[in-house]
Amino acid sequence: MSADASVGALSERTGFDAYRDARAIIRLIQCSRCSYPLRVPVTLPCGNTICRMCLPRSHVRAGISYPANQERQEGFTCPFSDCTKEHSLADSNPDVVLGKVLELIGEEVAKCKTESSEKPMLLEEQAVVHPSMASSGLQFDRPRSRVLHGGRLLATYTFAEMGELAFNSDVIYKPLYDDEDGGLALDMMLLDRLKEVVRNEFDCQVCYALMLNPVTTPCGHTFCRRCLTRVLDHSLLCPLCRRSLSISPALTNEPNNERICRILATICPEHLASRTETVTREEQGALGESQVPLFVCTLSFPSMPTFLHIFEPRYRLMIRRTLETRTRTFGMVSYNRTREPQGNLGTVEFREYGTLLRIINAQMLPDGRSLIETVGVSRFKVKDWSILDGYVVGSIDRYDDISLVEEERIEAAETDPARRSNANGSSSPTAQLDHLSTRDLLDIGMNFIRRMRDNSAPWLHQRVLEAYGYPPEDPALFPYWFASVLPISEHEKYKLLPTRSVRERLKITARWVRRAESQRWYSGTCTVL
Amino acid sequence: MALPKRIIKETERLMAEPVPGIKAIPHEDNLRYFDVEVHGPSQSPYENGIFKLELFLPDDYPMTPPKIRFLTRIYHPNIDKLGRICLDVLKSNWSPALQIRTILLSIQALLGAPNPDDPLANDVAQRWKEDEPAAIQTAREWTRMYAVSENR
Repeated sequence: MSADASVGALSERTGFDAYRDARAIIRLIQCSRCSYPLRVPVTLPCGNTICRMCLPRSHVRAGISYPANQERQEGFTCPFSDCTKEHSLADSNPDVVLGKVLELIGEEVAKCKTESSEKPMLLEEQAVVHPSMASSGLQFDRPRSRVLHGGRLLATYTFAEMGELAFNSDVIYKPLYDDEDGGLALDMMLLDRLKEVVRNEFDCQVCYALMLNPVTTPCGHTFCRRCLTRVLDHSLLCPLCRRSLSISPALTNEPNNERICRILATICPEHLASRTETVTREEQGALGESQVPLFVCTLSFPSMPTFLHIFEPRYRLMIRRTLETRTRTFGMVSYNRTREPQGNLGTVEFREYGTLLRIINAQMLPDGRSLIETVGVSRFKVKDWSILDGYVVGSIDRYDDISLVEEERIEAAETDPARRSNANGSSSPTAQLDHLSTRDLLDIGMNFIRRMRDNSAPWLHQRVLEAYGYPPEDPALFPYWFASVLPISEHEKYKLLPTRSVRERLKITARWVRRAESQRWYSGTCTVL
Repeated sequence: MALPKRIIKETERLMAEPVPGIKAIPHEDNLRYFDVEVHGPSQSPYENGIFKLELFLPDDYPMTPPKIRFLTRIYHPNIDKLGRICLDVLKSNWSPALQIRTILLSIQALLGAPNPDDPLANDVAQRWKEDEPAAIQTAREWTRMYAVSENR
C-alpha cells in the first residue's frame, strides 16, 4: 500500500475547487487500505491513519520485557510502506479528532442526500494500477460504474461509501441531466457546509487556534506540536485524558498527523498560512529584532563558557526556541539578590548588564531537560523588558568598550609622570594602581596567576583550566577569564560588566589581586577555597 | 505584551455563552485579571449566596493553572480564611485542556460537595466531621451574613 502519499495530489495546487477536485477531496477521508470513508480512524505512531478494523492482525511482540505491561505486549507490523515498523497495540487508539470529523461529515452528507434534487450522473471508476493493490480490501477485477445523485462531491462520497471506489482510482463524471453548471453549485454548497461543521474540531485544545503541525498522542488526542511539547515540559500526562504518554517529551520521533495536515492544507490553506506566519513571528523575531530572551540565572562573561542544566519548564521552552533561531543566542543576566535599583529599570529581579550567550552544544535529555554549553558573545544593557510565556524577554543595547584611540588617550593621561608625582604622596596603594600602565595592570593579574599555580591553588585545578582554558594574553579578555575562575563574590565580579575600557577592567582585577595578597587565603596553604 | 489568543477566545466565549450561576469579567486594564461571581448551588448550605472570587491568569497560562481565591467569606472545609481553595485541578491535577469555565464549575461543584477528608480549613473540617448538621447550619449563617446581597 502506498502510504498516504497520493492523498497529496491536491496540495500542490494553489486553492482548490469543490467541483474540479471532488475526487481528491473525498480521498482525504478514505482509508487507503479498505477505501471506505475512514471508520473509527486510528492514527499510528508513524503518523499514518487507517480504520481500526483495517489494522493488521496482532501478534505477541518478541523480546520485550519492559514495560511489562500486557497492553504493550501485543503489536502488529505497520502496513504503510513508508513505515513497516512494529507498532504496539497500546499506541494505536482511535484518533478522536478524525473520528469526530468523519462522523460529522457522514451526518451532513446524509442530510444532503435527503435534500438534494434528482441530478443523476454516471460515475466511472478509473483504476490506477498499483502493484500493492492486491493487499487492498476491495476487489479490482474491472473498474466499476454507477449512476448516483447529487453533485460530484456527494456522488463521489456515496461511491466510496458503497465500497466501490478504490483509494487510488480516479473518477470520470458524466452528467445524465441537462444543467449548465453540472452540479457545481451543489458541490460548492456541500463543501461549505462540511467545512462549517468540521471547522471547530481542528482547533487545538491547548492554544484554541487551528492545529499547526498536529501531533496525535498514543491515546488518540491531537495538539499542535509546539503546544504538546510545552505541555510535556510540565507533565507527561495527556492534557485531555491524563493517560501517561509513552513518548519522548521533545517529540523528536513523533511525526505529524499526516491526514489532518493534508485535510487542513486543502480546506483552509490561507488560514493555515497565516497561522504559520503568526507563530513564526511570535517564536522568533516576535518581539522585534532587538528583543531577546533573558535567562535570569548567573554571571557570564564574553568569550567565556557557561554550562547550564535546563530543567525549569519555562526555560526549556526558551532554550528550544533559541535553538530554532539562526543565531542561537540568548541573554544571560544575573539575579539581583540585593534588590538594588537597576538604572532606568528600577528595582527588578535581575541586574541590568548581561552577556549574550551563543549555544554551541546542546544535549537534550530524553525527559525534556537539557545540558547546554554556551559561550559569551558580547555584553548588553537591558533597556526594557516584559514576560513571554513565563520567562523574561528584553530589548537590549549592545554594550562595548570605547575605541582604542580613546583607550590610549586615557592611559596616556593617567600614566603621565607629572600627574603621578603629584599624586604620589597622598594616595592609597589601590589609588596608585590608577597610574600604572595598562600592561603593568595586566601583569599584576598574570603574575598572580603564575604564583598561584606554582602554589597549586585549588581554584586553578587542571579541571578548571580545562573548562575555561589558560589565561588569555589579550588584556581585553583577561579580566573575564580571571572572574570566571577566581573564587570571589558575584557582586564583585559583576563590576566588570559595566566597564567601558580594558584599562578600567584591569584596574578592577588588579585591585582583586591586591586585596587577595593582603589577606592570607591566596597563599595556597588555605584549601578551603 | 500581546494577550495570547487562547485567553482572548476564552474570554469571548465566557461573554458570549455565560454559564448559568457563574460570572467572570476581566478588568479593562488587565485582561488577565477577572472578577468572578459564583452562585451557591441549590440544596447546599450556600444556596442563595453570591460569592465573589478573584481569578488571575499567570504568564504561562494555560501551562499553569489560574490563581483563584474567594473574596467573600465562606464556611467550607476546603476553603480557608484567606479564601484559598483546596482543589486538585487547581494544583497537581491541572491540565491545559481545562479552562476558566471548567474550573469555575469545579469550584461550584465543590460548594455542593464539601470534602472534609481533604481539608484546608482544619477547624471547619473537624466540625464538619464531628457535627455535620451544626457545621451546615454555620455555613448557612455565613452565607446569609456575607454572601446574600441585601446584607452586603
